[in-house]
Amino acid sequence: MATTANGLAALEGHVPDEEKPGFKTGNHAGQVRTCETTGLPVCLTAQRFIRLNAVAAVVFLLIGGVAALLLALTRWPTVHLLPADWYYRVLTAHGLNMLILWIIFMEIAILYFAGTTLLNTRLASKGTAWVAFGLMVAGALAINGAVWSGKADVMMTSYVPLQAHWSFYLGIILFAVGALIAVINFLATLYIAKRDKTYAGSVPLVVFGATAAAIIAVVTLLHGAVVMIPTFLWSLGLTEAPDAAWYRLVWWGLGHQSQQVNVCAMVSVWYLLGTLTTGAKPLNQAVCRGAFVLYILFINLASAHHLLVDPGVGAGWKIWNTSYAMYLAVLASMIHGFTVPASIEVAMRKKGHNKGLFGWLFAAPWKNPGFSAFFLSLVIFGFLGGITGVTLGTQQINIIAHNTLRIPGHFHTTVVGGTSLAFMGLAYYVVPLIFQKEYPAKALARLQPFVFAGGITVMAIAMSFAGSYGVPRRHWDINFTGAQFSAGFDSTAHLMMGLVGIGGTIAFVGLLIFLLLTVAAVFFGRSNAGKKMEAW
Amino acid sequence: MSISFPEQGWFKAPSAGERLWIGLAIAWCLVLTLAMPYWHFKGKQNSTGEAYRVTPAEFYQRAQKFIEAYKVGEDRYTAIVQPPPGTDVYLTARMWRWDPVLKLKKDQTYRVHVGSMDLNHGFSLQPVNMNFQVVPGYDHVLTLTPTRAGEYSIVCNEFCGVGHHTMAGKIIVEE
Amino acid sequence: MTQPNEPKAADVIQSEHEKDEGSHRTPGTLVLALILLLSFAVYYFANWKALADTWPVR
Repeated sequence: MATTANGLAALEGHVPDEEKPGFKTGNHAGQVRTCETTGLPVCLTAQRFIRLNAVAAVVFLLIGGVAALLLALTRWPTVHLLPADWYYRVLTAHGLNMLILWIIFMEIAILYFAGTTLLNTRLASKGTAWVAFGLMVAGALAINGAVWSGKADVMMTSYVPLQAHWSFYLGIILFAVGALIAVINFLATLYIAKRDKTYAGSVPLVVFGATAAAIIAVVTLLHGAVVMIPTFLWSLGLTEAPDAAWYRLVWWGLGHQSQQVNVCAMVSVWYLLGTLTTGAKPLNQAVCRGAFVLYILFINLASAHHLLVDPGVGAGWKIWNTSYAMYLAVLASMIHGFTVPASIEVAMRKKGHNKGLFGWLFAAPWKNPGFSAFFLSLVIFGFLGGITGVTLGTQQINIIAHNTLRIPGHFHTTVVGGTSLAFMGLAYYVVPLIFQKEYPAKALARLQPFVFAGGITVMAIAMSFAGSYGVPRRHWDINFTGAQFSAGFDSTAHLMMGLVGIGGTIAFVGLLIFLLLTVAAVFFGRSNAGKKMEAW
Repeated sequence: MSISFPEQGWFKAPSAGERLWIGLAIAWCLVLTLAMPYWHFKGKQNSTGEAYRVTPAEFYQRAQKFIEAYKVGEDRYTAIVQPPPGTDVYLTARMWRWDPVLKLKKDQTYRVHVGSMDLNHGFSLQPVNMNFQVVPGYDHVLTLTPTRAGEYSIVCNEFCGVGHHTMAGKIIVEE
Repeated sequence: MTQPNEPKAADVIQSEHEKDEGSHRTPGTLVLALILLLSFAVYYFANWKALADTWPVR
């Protein structure tokens, strides 16, 4: 009988209630509140760790941001602020605080959010979340201690046999282990949600994207362990130095793939902010998810980009790794680059903004910093970051780009103008919804994404041009004062370096506005507990 | 919405607009993929990564032998070396100098062995703007053909300590 | 979420699977994407040209 009834139900397109996609009974055991604005269930344990990780992220963003300003003012030829040793020290600190600490703390916050709230579940383990957070903070402090005390002037990449103090490597290991534990806690949360049947149906797209980021993160962090543990032992004097070429190969398994975690997390945030700000809906779930799967499968081989003009790895290896894998991952980004704005277009047209080709875009909520940060991030990442990345990562073209300023010109449009800006947009929702505090000076917040995006764009384009004149990255004096033979660059390159300084300073102003407003909101902002968040 | 559970049967074919874009994107990815092997066979600039394991001491000895054999002068305490076309040329990178000054003939091909005595360095030929990685423990062979006469600088573009920005060498190309 | 009377996300999540798909016309996005592809191609081939102007190397 039952079989027949089910068969009939399927025939008529009906499904029993318990199988209908959506929330079922949660497993929070009382530790939950219902968000006044979205109606979503917020696990209180997860909320605490989202807050903790977001606060840590912003602290390191501040450190990295001050470092960024100092660097911009040093590479600006007429200012040339820092002395050489401090330039390299601050550059090391900038890379680590921004690319590792700010972004990964923020990503852990995103994982805790996506894993719990969107699946109607509690966080799998509170104790584990404490351990992860403690290790990450300890690691972050050890890294900063070593760098700022001048014991680790080795750049973020710390290519052996350049050696830092052991506490530097230990800090990275502690931070990576902490992050790995947090990622496992996220995966365990997915498991208990499934086990406790807190929802039915396929997980939401944002959770799917976050899971893809988590999977890539596990692979990334394992590479980190493989390369950092022998390096740590060597720094203690216990073993011989690891082979310099081997180190570069495996380090980039960590260094490049962690950028793919950022891409994955950023694209998930794009989808999330698209929904939060315009009610956008993915056009085709299969296409969007398929693109995330492409990231997981093919993005790892792109680590080869950093070895395209290296000795010891042959042309066949370089071409294979660059072309085969790279372009399927590029395909994934090109798909997201279409489906994300397309979902906005559909949503805006449904609201009646049908005028011409771009009426929907002009009518979009540009006054909402959540939207403007997200959409500017999408444009900067696609038009500047994506195009330059693929081109510089072409095996032979890398000859005219490797280690020039074209490389930072590229990644400041992916990881800063792209990921960081998207995460700032996210903060404009995290603070009111998770911290339950309202942003002060909303007019300033509305302006912030434009200032930051504008500054970063000017700086990155200037860097790219300077790099195409051969100006090296990570370089204190492009006039080579005191060098054995004269060298240097023409006036156009110097002009570009001036623009790097100006653009960098503008971007810092944008960053500072974000930091001040966010800190003011979190610590002194009006509480909106028990109320809806104010409209942006 | 991106935060909601998709309706059952969400696994379906993309719409016409998406299909068009995905098709174009795949076609473009194919162009990108084929460009590199094409250039490998037809193009003139390729980084083949030809390299041999070598200890810094061994590389130094070979470089010294090379300098002694073809030295034609000295400039700022650095040997100027003019090797016959087609020969093996040795260029040593160390904190923070390039040795020796090379005097090459235009349109002649040389096998330039670049090696490091200490850390990673970056061989950056300016203003031609060609860049290669120099990794300690490896003899990186660049089979180079200068195409224009003039004086060129080799700057280091891999961070190699606090004197990194004073590391510049010279290549002279004669008609 | 910006309008006070809009339905809450949670309600939409619960009811969405019953909704009609509606039209999916996205001509504006397609034009944006084509501009991207065009600028991509210009930048990419300009770089091959710049590479071709350097010294031959193997």
